[in-house]
Amino acid sequence: MRRSSRHQPGTAAPSREDAAAPAGLPPVGAGEVIATAAVPTDGAKVRSSHPLARYLRRRLGVSVLLLIGVTLVTFLLTNLVPSNPAVANLGQQAGSDPKVVAAFNAKYGLNRPLPVQYVIYLKNLLHGDLGTSLLTHQPVLSDLGTAIPATMELALGAIVLSTLIGVSFGVFSAIRRGRAVDQGLRVISLIGISVPTFWLALLSYYIFYYKLNIAPGSGRLSPTMTPPPHVTGLYTVDALLAGQWSTFADAAAHLMLPTLVLTAYTVGLLTRFTRSAILEVLDQDFVRAARAKGLPSRIVLRRYVLRAALVPILTLIGLAFGSLLSGTVLVESVFAWPGIGAYAYQAASHLDLPGIMGVGLFVGIVFLAVNFIVDLLYGVIDPRVRVS
Amino acid sequence: MNISYRKLRWAVGVATVTCVVAACGSSGGSSPAASSSSSPSLVVDTYFQLKTVDPSREFEGTGQMVDKALYDTLITFKGADTTTLIPDLATSWSLSPDAKTLTLTLAKGRVFSDGSPVTSADVVFTLDRVAGIEGNPSFLMAGVTASAPNPSTVVLTSKTPNPQLPYILTSPSLGILNEKVVKAHGGTTTQKDAAETYLNSQSAGSGPYVLSSLNVSSQVKLVANPKYNGPEKPTYGTVIIQNVQPPTQKINVQRGDAQLALDLTGNQVQGIGGNLQVSAGPSGVIIFLLLNQSPAISKLTSNADFDTAVKDAINYPALLPLAGAGTQPATGVIPTIFTGSLPAGQGLAYNLAGAKKALAASGLAGKSVTLNYPSDNSPSGVNMNTIAQAVQSQLQAIGVKVSLAPQPTATELENYRDGKEQIGLWDWSPDYPDAADYLNFGPGALVGLRANWTPAKAPQVTQLATAASAAGASDRAAAYQAFQKAMNATGPFIPLFQPANHLVVAASVTNAVYNALWTVDLAALGAKK
Repeated sequence: MRRSSRHQPGTAAPSREDAAAPAGLPPVGAGEVIATAAVPTDGAKVRSSHPLARYLRRRLGVSVLLLIGVTLVTFLLTNLVPSNPAVANLGQQAGSDPKVVAAFNAKYGLNRPLPVQYVIYLKNLLHGDLGTSLLTHQPVLSDLGTAIPATMELALGAIVLSTLIGVSFGVFSAIRRGRAVDQGLRVISLIGISVPTFWLALLSYYIFYYKLNIAPGSGRLSPTMTPPPHVTGLYTVDALLAGQWSTFADAAAHLMLPTLVLTAYTVGLLTRFTRSAILEVLDQDFVRAARAKGLPSRIVLRRYVLRAALVPILTLIGLAFGSLLSGTVLVESVFAWPGIGAYAYQAASHLDLPGIMGVGLFVGIVFLAVNFIVDLLYGVIDPRVRVS
Repeated sequence: MNISYRKLRWAVGVATVTCVVAACGSSGGSSPAASSSSSPSLVVDTYFQLKTVDPSREFEGTGQMVDKALYDTLITFKGADTTTLIPDLATSWSLSPDAKTLTLTLAKGRVFSDGSPVTSADVVFTLDRVAGIEGNPSFLMAGVTASAPNPSTVVLTSKTPNPQLPYILTSPSLGILNEKVVKAHGGTTTQKDAAETYLNSQSAGSGPYVLSSLNVSSQVKLVANPKYNGPEKPTYGTVIIQNVQPPTQKINVQRGDAQLALDLTGNQVQGIGGNLQVSAGPSGVIIFLLLNQSPAISKLTSNADFDTAVKDAINYPALLPLAGAGTQPATGVIPTIFTGSLPAGQGLAYNLAGAKKALAASGLAGKSVTLNYPSDNSPSGVNMNTIAQAVQSQLQAIGVKVSLAPQPTATELENYRDGKEQIGLWDWSPDYPDAADYLNFGPGALVGLRANWTPAKAPQVTQLATAASAAGASDRAAAYQAFQKAMNATGPFIPLFQPANHLVVAASVTNAVYNALWTVDLAALGAKK
C-alpha cells in the first residue's frame, strides 16, 4: 500500500510550489487503486466479482484491522503514562485511602491485568459499549453522541465555505499568476495559515461580539434557550425538524463566528494548494493542445485544467475535513463549544482511559472514512482509475 | 478568459453572500439573558470542575456550588464567613465535653422538593451513604456513625475526639438526600449504590433550587424549588451555569450575557470597569513548597541547615505580584480566613544574610536540587510555571542550583503522593473550613508523609499536633498557632502565599460574595430593583 505520500500533503505539500500531483503521471493514490484492481483474475470464479467490489471488500478489511490497531495503540500509550487513573481522578484525601482506591479500581475494572482489560474492552466494543468515562461518569458513547455532532456542525460549515472560497481563490490566483491579484491572494492565504487560530478566535470574538455586537456570545445556543429534541444532535437540523425557528436562528448565529475562524485557516491552506496544482496543469501539453484547437477558455479551464488538478485538491479537502472533525481544541475552548476537541483534552488531562480510547477510535474512523470516500471520488474524477 | 472570470466571480460571490447572511443571522440571534420569564434568570460563567452532582460523590469546585443550591446541609455559613456556624436543617446542636458525640435537633416542617418532610432517617441514610459508597468525600465521615433516636434528633458518634465535626457538616458534599426517592432509584449505603445516574438527572434535596438539566462538560440549569420552605428564598427563578474559559468569561460578563464570572485572575480583573462590580477575597488556597526529608530522595532537602537556608532565601513579598493582584502573604499552612491561623507578620521572612550563613553551615553550597510541580495546574489563576521560575532564581542567588521538572498534574500527582519529589510546588484547598484539616501537614500525616516527614523526625511538632487535635473550644486557636509556629521553624513546608479570588458581577446582581467552600451561594444572590 503506497499510502504514506498521500497522507501528509496537509503538512508538507503546501509549502512547495511543485507539490501537486504531476498530472502527466497517474496521481499518487490512484496508483494504489490501479495496483489493487490490476491483480490478474486468473479466471478464478470465486474472485471473479467486479474489481471495484473486490477492492471495496479489501479496503474494508484493512480498515477493520487498522481500527483494532488504533484501539491497541491508544490503550498502550495511555497505560504507558507513569501515573494511574485513580490518583488522577480521586481527591487528595480519597486518593490516599486504599479502600476508596480499591473501590474506584473495581468499579472501572482497573484492578485486572492489562491484557484482560484490553480483551474486555474489545468484547464490549463489539456490543457497542465504549465503557464509562471516569470524568463524566457517563457512558462514553453518549458523551461522544453529544460532542461529535457539536464539532460536526462546525466542521461541515467550515469545509463547505473553505472549499468554495479556497478553490476559487486558488484558481483565480493561478490564472493571474504573478499579477497583483495573485500576490494579494498569496499574502492573504499566508496570513490565514500563519495566524494562530486561538488568537484569531479570541480577536474575532472580542471584535464581533463585544465591540460590534453583531455576533452572539459563546456556546452552541444562548444560555436561556433550550436545546431542540435530540434527533441528529446537530442543533440547526434538529431545530428545523422540530419546527423551532427561533432556536434554529440562534443555533445558526452561534455557529458563524467559530466556523469562519476555522474557515480562515483552511482557506489559506486550500488556496495555496489549489494554486500550485492548477499551475502544474496549466503547463501541460494537453492544455496547450486544447487551446491550440481553439476551444473556448471556459471549456479548457473546466474540463482540462480543473479536472486534472482536482485529484490532489480533493485529497487535501478530505484530510482538512478529517482534521477539523477530529478536534479543534483551541477554537472550541475560546467559544465554549462542547465538541470533540474539548472532550479529548479533558479526557487526556484526567487520564480518562475510556474517554481517550473513545476519541481515538472516532478519529481513526474519521480518517479511514475520509480516505475511503476520497479514493472512491478519484474514480469519479479520473477516468484512468475507473477504466483500469 | 472572460467567461472563466465570471464563473469565479460567481463562486466568490456565493461565498461572500454566505458570510454576510451569517453576520445578519448573528445579529438577529443574540438576545439578552434576563428578559423572558417573570422571575429573572441568572447566567454564571465558570470553568467547570465538575464530574457529578450526586452530593455524596461530588468533591469538586463547581459541584460544591451546585450542590449548595440543590441540597441543604445540617449546618452552614452565611456570606463570606467561614468561622461562625449558622443553623440550616438543624436548629441547634451540642457537642459532648469529650468531643465525641454531637447531638443535633432538626428544624420543624422543612420539606424535600417532592413535598415530603425531612426527617432524622433521611439524615442518617445520607451520612451512612457518604461513608459507605467509598467516594471522594467519604473521608469526611471517617470514624463517625449516625443514629436517629427520634424523628427530629440525630446523634453523631466519633471514635476519636472530633471538635471539627460541626464545621465538617457544612460541606455541600454532606447535603441531605431524600431517602425514599434515592432508594427508589437504586440508592444504598454500600458500594452497590446506583443512584448517581438518577441524581445527575434530578435532584432529591430540600435546597432552594432543583436540578433542571445537567451536562458535566457544558451546562447546568437550576430552577427555583417551588416547595422550598427554608430561610433563603431565591430571587432568581432560573440559574444557568456554563462552562467557559476565563478569557471568554471576561468578554461575556462585560457584554452582559453573563451576570457572574467566577474564574478571572487579579490581572484580568484590573480595569474591567463599566457596569461591573468586583468582589475580591482570599481564596482559602495555600501555595507551598515541600522539602523532602528522606536522605534517600535528596541529601540536600533532608539537611536541616539547607532547609533553613531555603526558607530564608525566598523573597516572599516579591512573589505576591507574580501570583496576581490581591494575593496575600501566607503566615502558616492555615489560611488567614480560618480560626487558628497565625496573625500577619508571624510567617516566614526573607533574610538573605541568614540564608547564606545557613547554606554555608550545611556545606551544600553549589549543589543542585530538582523542583517538581504541576505545569498545567493554575490554582486560583496562579501560573505555577512563573512561581517555580521565581523560586529557582531566588535560590540561585544564594548559590543553590535548582532544575525545574514540570509535568502534567495527572502524572506529577503520583510522584507527590508517593513522596518522591525533592522539592515540590503545590497547592492545598480546604476540605472543610477548620484548622483541623491542616493537621494533614503534620509529621506522619497525609501531606507530611509526602515529604517523608515521620513523627520520629519531629517529636515536638507531633506533640503539638496531638495537642491541637484534642484542644477544647477555648484553647483551639492558640494550640493551632503553636503547631504552626513549630512547623514554620522546623517543618518541611514553606507556605508561600494565599492567592486571591475575584468575582466579577453585573451591576444588577446584589449580595455576591466569595465563599471559600462553595464559591457563591446562588440562592443568596439578589436583584437590584
